[in-house]
Amino acid sequence: MAPPLSRVVVRKRTPSGSAPTRAASPARTCGLRWQAIGIAIVALLAPQSLSAQSNSVRVTQLSDVAFGALANLGVDAVQTQSICVFAHTANDGYRVTATGSAPNGAFALSSGASLLDYEVQWSPSPGQSTGSQLSPNSTLTGLTSSATQQTCNNGPATSASLIVVLRSAALSSARAGSYSGTLTLIIGPE
Amino acid sequence: MAGIIMMARRNLLNAAVVAVAIVATATTASAATQGSLGSTSTGSVSISASIPSRVRISGLSDVAFSNVDPSLDAANAQNVCVWSNTSTKGYRITASGSGAANAFTLANAALVVPYTVEWSGTSGQSGGTALTAGSALTGLTSTATNSNCASGPSTSASLIVKIAAADLQGMNSATNYTGTLTLLVAPE
Repeated sequence: MAPPLSRVVVRKRTPSGSAPTRAASPARTCGLRWQAIGIAIVALLAPQSLSAQSNSVRVTQLSDVAFGALANLGVDAVQTQSICVFAHTANDGYRVTATGSAPNGAFALSSGASLLDYEVQWSPSPGQSTGSQLSPNSTLTGLTSSATQQTCNNGPATSASLIVVLRSAALSSARAGSYSGTLTLIIGPE
Repeated sequence: MAGIIMMARRNLLNAAVVAVAIVATATTASAATQGSLGSTSTGSVSISASIPSRVRISGLSDVAFSNVDPSLDAANAQNVCVWSNTSTKGYRITASGSGAANAFTLANAALVVPYTVEWSGTSGQSGGTALTAGSALTGLTSTATNSNCASGPSTSASLIVKIAAADLQGMNSATNYTGTLTLLVAPE
């Protein structure tokens, strides 16, 4: 008498010949297939779901700011650059915090012991020559990015403007010399 | 005694200021860093600027000697602002008159009278170091902290113009003598 189909167990060896595997009946095989499909669907959807839920940001396309030799100290010196800020948040929102390299994070360049104050402005639109004034270590909130790719490789090529200003008042009071410093920008999601 | 007028034409900033540019190449200490994708993203830029040596003279007033007593030396002192942005705030000054070979003289047609010019590196002085026309007085230091003394010390040097009694006595009465004194300041 043949055993019931549901009880058929076929033993076979793995290629390594170590442990046997069990082959299920056709009904069980069908159930396992659907289970595998379900797992696969979950597996496929899971990264996207996690990605959609996470808030991530990125700032790129930053360039050094070189004012060069300032011949006319009686006028403000302004350097502006368009950069890429990407915000993968529900509303593409982000915030920015800037810190200078002078004591207490102040926006000042140094030449030995001499300091030269500068100002930092930010605009959430590229190509701007003015923007919102940033204060050292303070956060400018409520910004929105138009970037659709994290490095702006497609979509808008840039999404924000960074403006650095050396005021004439500071220039005409500064000692002669070569000044340098570092401005650090921290982008956070909103 | 007739009036004697010397007009020291005000040398406004650009004319009187000579900039010796020490153009130091603005070097970039480090390259900009780009942020990575994450819950926050940090980037940085290097900022550099070079400020050449600059000086400025301002706060000059015309000098007018009127109805002076020819028996006494006449003197006019004024406080001026000289600013220098060098590390020592040093400067030198060269004065030139409008007479022949830049001589310090006033004139009315062919009538000529000499005067002297003195300079002090501090304000409020009635006497200073005698200047020679066309020759620089060096080793001066400014106390000015603003290019036109709008803040900090309101003045930083003294300009003194004198006409000796003997020269006054050689002048014609009721005759105006005029001339221009040019001051050239350079950084040191």
